[in-house]
Amino acid sequence: MELQLQDLRKQYGEKCAVNNVSVNLAPGVYGLLGANGAGKTTLMRMICGVLKPTSGNIRLNGKTVEQLGEQYYTHLGYMPQDFGFYPDFTAREFMLYMAAVKGLDKRLAKKRTENLLHMVNLSDVADKKIKSYSGGMKQRLGIAQAELNSPSILILDEPTAGLDPKERVRFRNLISDFAKEKIVILSTHIVSDVSYIADTILMMKQGHFLLQEPMSTVTDSIRGKVWELLVDERTAAEYSRKFSVVNLHHENDMVRLRMIEETAPGEDAQMVEPGLEDLFLYYFGEEAGRQEER
Amino acid sequence: MLVKYEFLKIVRKKSTLIVMAVSLILTGFLFGLPIMQYQIYNQDGVIKGTKGIAYEKEQFADLSVPLSEEYVAETIREVQGLFENPDNIGTDGNEQFLVGDAYWNGIAPREKLLNLIADTYSSPNDRWGYNHLPDLDVKEGKPFYQAMKGKIQTLLDSPSRALSDEQKEYWGGMADKVDTPLQYGYYGGWEIIISSFELLMFALLAICIVTAPVFSGEYQAGTDAVILSAKYGKTRLTTAKIAASLLFGTAAFILHVVVACGLPLAAFGIDGWNLPLQIANTTVPYPYTFLQAVLINIGIIYLVLLAMIGLTLLLSAKMKSPYLVLIILVPILFIPMFLTPNGTTGIYNLLLFLMPYRSAMPEFDKYISYQFGGLVLDVITVRAVFYAILTVIMLTLARLGFKKHQVA
Ligand SMILES: Nc1ncnc2c1ncn2[C@@H]1O[C@H](COP(=O)(O)OP(=O)(O)OP(=O)(O)O)[C@@H](O)[C@H]1O
Ligand SMILES: [Mg+2]
Repeated sequence: MELQLQDLRKQYGEKCAVNNVSVNLAPGVYGLLGANGAGKTTLMRMICGVLKPTSGNIRLNGKTVEQLGEQYYTHLGYMPQDFGFYPDFTAREFMLYMAAVKGLDKRLAKKRTENLLHMVNLSDVADKKIKSYSGGMKQRLGIAQAELNSPSILILDEPTAGLDPKERVRFRNLISDFAKEKIVILSTHIVSDVSYIADTILMMKQGHFLLQEPMSTVTDSIRGKVWELLVDERTAAEYSRKFSVVNLHHENDMVRLRMIEETAPGEDAQMVEPGLEDLFLYYFGEEAGRQEER
Repeated sequence: MLVKYEFLKIVRKKSTLIVMAVSLILTGFLFGLPIMQYQIYNQDGVIKGTKGIAYEKEQFADLSVPLSEEYVAETIREVQGLFENPDNIGTDGNEQFLVGDAYWNGIAPREKLLNLIADTYSSPNDRWGYNHLPDLDVKEGKPFYQAMKGKIQTLLDSPSRALSDEQKEYWGGMADKVDTPLQYGYYGGWEIIISSFELLMFALLAICIVTAPVFSGEYQAGTDAVILSAKYGKTRLTTAKIAASLLFGTAAFILHVVVACGLPLAAFGIDGWNLPLQIANTTVPYPYTFLQAVLINIGIIYLVLLAMIGLTLLLSAKMKSPYLVLIILVPILFIPMFLTPNGTTGIYNLLLFLMPYRSAMPEFDKYISYQFGGLVLDVITVRAVFYAILTVIMLTLARLGFKKHQVA
């Protein structure tokens, strides 16, 4: 199983939402990180065949989507960002409906529906109308429908958005369960979501990939460059202007600064272990720092 | 399987039930109105509603006869006899009428028939009633069916119609196929149905309102991404959506037709179903019975419905929300209502008579025909072909529209 994106590009007027993205994806979990507007959703829509690329193509095991036709979509499970449901359907009806659209036969549809509703913990409310569901329940139903046809490519666009921390943990575990032997692409701008489950990090900025690295080595590029320093408030303001501060934390009258610099920014600076978040902030700086949820 | 789900999606919605209920009630009201308003006069005054209907049918019992030349001549002579006695005659200064018993016994029970006979002898611009019958010289030999043919010919020849020779020949030939002598009888229920057909447009609008969200509702709800990325999303699901819409449209249409035809036929009876259209108007060229005429026109309206569903689905596939669909659709359905024909052959007229609203009206007595080279087709045939083709085109484009839809 190999999914190839070749020079994939999407242009909206002047704006290039996805700019010549090329990547070969083998089974594994890919964390697609990027600030708002980086082009994550646009890229995923093109992979899922609901948005036509301006140029470039997508191949599965060497064959283009056009060549594969319906066949391509049997491999696909897609959970879009902010997508809708039929409010008057129950969860079970919605699952059976999606199973029919995905071409599952009746018996398999029933079986998968029951299994998945159980897995996402919606069995008890399966016969309630979706309009009575909370955001978290809808998200869980969303991933359940994506998984119906046991896809080998699972595309999840910000699956954890709007979930409380407990739900997020549960969701991460669900995704890990589903991810075996699959190509899973998971977009988010919440770094902690992917740091546990992703094998590979794809970092996207202004429509192109900044970085594709295995999780184990992704922070190597900034290893030895992350520093922490405890200073008073006046000095902190000065440092913020001079150096790239990724985090600052008030401790009584003092401020603990976290910075990424080639060399120690001060005599008392201590070198610390880099995290994915440092990397993210290093690349996206101010722009993302403001939007980062904590 | 998918069709079932798509059908359920349509009928499950509360809005569907509300729209259907409102339009059924409206259709029932519009087609029931002539029953409630029905009234007939006799010497003692007015008889209203179902009692009036029963009274009129009683009078028609004696009139269920073939209109042979002898019968018509005899009838004319009887009326002329009544006019010979000056005591029977009243006048409004302009025209003479029969009054008193002569009217109530000799005319009133068969006034419709007498008017039909008199008008057959009139020239196209006049509308004659029974009081013109004394002007006819029966002895001179004025055969009724010759007069009928003559009047049709005069109508076809009238310069304002500007019919080509081929068209005149077409209509003349069609009129020749009408079986004579005409069998007369009661046809009250059918008359009401034929004159009220365009009221079914509200049913068409209601059905289009219900089908407007079939595609655009998915875009609006944000479900387009999941279904279009599923195996059958761009193929069988589209077909299923179209099939479900047509299925719903057909079922709803049948329901409305049952109400629209059922009410008048229940109140007035089905009498007259096998009688020729010409007993209502002798200049009608179509050789159909009332039942045939009604079925044919229902067929036409059904084809209009299918094309309108096709158009609704096309708009639905292209627009972001069902409301936008309706904003475009409502004018298309109803603007022709405010346009009046100004003749019968100009391009404006010929197009107008093909518009959705106009197409609901059969116009059996208007000689509207379309000529393509040497080929002449009457308006009913052209409507059938036009709307059938339109349906196919619209549905094809709708399918393509959904398949090509971009989630962005
Ligand atoms: N339909 C559209 N028309 C014009 N521009 C668009 C359209 N859709 C997206 N864009 C632009 O393309 C860029 C990428 O958008 P996209 O939704 O892919 O970003 P994203 O990474 O998913 O962001 P987020 O984290 O907010 O979901 C944005 O600048 C956006 O404004
Ligand atoms: Mg997005």
